[in-house]
Amino acid sequence: MRVWGGRYRLVLALLALGLAASVLLAVGIGAVRISPGSALELVAWKLGLVDRPDVPRSTEVILFQLRVPRVALAVVVGLALATSGTLFQGLFRNPLADPAIIGVSSGAALGAIAVIVLGGGALLGGLGVSLAAFVGGMLTAFFVYRLARVGPAVHVATLLLAGIAVAAVISAVMSLVMSFAGEEIRSIYFWLLGGLSARGWTAVEVVAPLVAMGVLGSLVLIRDLNIVALGEERAAQLGVDVDRFKWRVVALGALLAGAAVSVSGVIGFVGLMTPHLLRLVVGADHRRLLPAVLLAGPMFLVLADLVARVALAPQELPLGAVTALVGGPFFLLLLRRERRGAGAPA
Amino acid sequence: MPPPEPRLVLDGITAGYGAAPPALREVSLHVRPGEVVGLVGPNGSGKTTVVRVVSRTLRPKTGAVRVVGRDPYEIPGRELARLVAVVPQDVLPAFSFTALEMVFMGRTPYGSAWGGGSPEDWARARAAMVAASVQHLADRPLEELSGGERQRVILAQALAQDAPVLLLDEPTSHLDVRHVVDVLAIVRGLAERDGTAVLAILHDLNVASIACDRMVVLDRGAVVAEGDPAAVLTHGLLREVYGVDADVVVDDATGRPSVRLGAPRAVGPALGRRAHVVGGAGRGAPLFRRLTEAGYEVSVGILHASDTDQAAAERLNLVRVSVPPFSTIDPESVRACRALMEAADLLVVCDAPFGPGNVENLRLALDVARGGVPTVLLEQVPIAERDFTGGEATELWGALRSLARVAASYEELAASAAG
Repeated sequence: MRVWGGRYRLVLALLALGLAASVLLAVGIGAVRISPGSALELVAWKLGLVDRPDVPRSTEVILFQLRVPRVALAVVVGLALATSGTLFQGLFRNPLADPAIIGVSSGAALGAIAVIVLGGGALLGGLGVSLAAFVGGMLTAFFVYRLARVGPAVHVATLLLAGIAVAAVISAVMSLVMSFAGEEIRSIYFWLLGGLSARGWTAVEVVAPLVAMGVLGSLVLIRDLNIVALGEERAAQLGVDVDRFKWRVVALGALLAGAAVSVSGVIGFVGLMTPHLLRLVVGADHRRLLPAVLLAGPMFLVLADLVARVALAPQELPLGAVTALVGGPFFLLLLRRERRGAGAPA
Repeated sequence: MPPPEPRLVLDGITAGYGAAPPALREVSLHVRPGEVVGLVGPNGSGKTTVVRVVSRTLRPKTGAVRVVGRDPYEIPGRELARLVAVVPQDVLPAFSFTALEMVFMGRTPYGSAWGGGSPEDWARARAAMVAASVQHLADRPLEELSGGERQRVILAQALAQDAPVLLLDEPTSHLDVRHVVDVLAIVRGLAERDGTAVLAILHDLNVASIACDRMVVLDRGAVVAEGDPAAVLTHGLLREVYGVDADVVVDDATGRPSVRLGAPRAVGPALGRRAHVVGGAGRGAPLFRRLTEAGYEVSVGILHASDTDQAAAERLNLVRVSVPPFSTIDPESVRACRALMEAADLLVVCDAPFGPGNVENLRLALDVARGGVPTVLLEQVPIAERDFTGGEATELWGALRSLARVAASYEELAASAAG
């Protein structure tokens, strides 16, 4: 059948092309320019396919020690945030839901900030902060989920409200913690504004398996995401185990968002905008939406990180601010256009 | 030859919601293969609760349910969905799906989690669309379809489940009678051809009488009559259950009984003139007192419970139909509001903003205005500035305009109403 018809394949091909181009662009641009040709040759050499190209040793180091890990991290984090956003928008049947909605982001930020303020910023070679963020995010999500659960049933509206309330409490606690912070305040700001600088290969190696698990798990939820959009009672009539579905979405969405936040800090708009925008292009059917999201999320974040890196070089902009600056106005434009279609005040 | 085993059996079911009195008391009924059984009864008699009990949404406190011999509460949801298909009153997807995508979802209990679907799944979905005469709508987004088309797409979704038992939950409550007949003809054909056992909750007694082999009447959660339509639909039963005096006439052509209501008589103290106001966002409130002073008994609706107009109507103790904040309007409220509108001497439609949550009001008003109820529109704000439906409200407003007087201010409207 034509779930993946000709036009859709074209969209996917364009997105894949766009992602590849963004990656080449991002590894090439910086204080030292590396042409896409040299970059490709170096990668092929690394893979043992060709002889070492004639480029300076420094280029090789910059490419493999700085640029590639950073772009790889952007890909992984973009993948995680966009997938998580798609899951939560499906669960809440609301195109304005995002990974922050059940408190994962704020919980993670609190975990990170607590460790920084307590002077553990250098623990485990910096990974201590990531670990604390991940644990904080997952604990918060689990806590919010428990708040909304009555017997086997989870009320989605309660989940939403509990998430907002818990996030508010957490940000109050964060403000308190920050008022005790001295010179750590800069690294705290890094967490709140998000960024991918100087993370190296370790961050990618730690987070990529988690994100891979989350993404693969999400593929199994695709059909049910469609059915639950018809309402929970209807989904149950069509044979979906709705309570199990909700638990899986929350678990996977939190895993993905928690993994992303733990290495990149809080980056907004990717999870909100990517699925929303693609729904306009490929439709709401998650069998088409999710594959497109898996290409567009990384692309968006790679480009945003490139802007953050080079716009005011050598000064680096906070990535979260870039995604919001690009994403915010674009999103507003979209909403205004869409208001003529669907989605209006009750 | 003994009659075939029933495919759906409810035996002594008592069920309810929380601490409230049970919605069903000791209900027993059965449906055999190829049989269309109509479940009728006044609002709140427990009809929809029967669907919930069978589709595993509400576990009964006592009694047994059997679907093709299986207990729905003992088998996985997937398996149950291959045995029972439900046609709900309406389905409002959160995202935009095409008709074919919707119908294909009926194959959920057979497909894989990824949901690509086997060629057979697609073939069955196509066949269901043909059966429900919606094959030509395959690529159209659901929200672009008319009410009747959408209902048939939802019917096709249920048919795609290929279940031996079909439950219709008032699928026809907000459709024109032509669509009602369409849907029931499709269902009847299915019962005769495939031997599907059909339990149809129906609101309209005359439709039930024509479409069903047997009728079961519920009143306050209990079965009060059961059998052949001719045996069930009697003057005495209608008075006892529905509280109306009605003639029951047997139609010569069909041999089926049909109900004729006498002219409605005023209940309680003699009433003056009645006006019904369609408001929203506070646009109706300034009219409430003006109309009351002009001698009208005012009713309002359908409002969202958080609306400014709702608060004003509460203060003046007006009759009102309202639904919870941010929800879409349910068929029950539509019926209640339609009754108020049709009984009014004047229908006033205010220049409120209309979105998907309340555009039903305009459809209703147009329908009632077409029925001959004098109608006035308030139009201080042009419709273009308050249409959040993507054009439907504008279209409905235009149609209303051609049937109604138009007032440019509250004063003008009140004066015209007083005259």
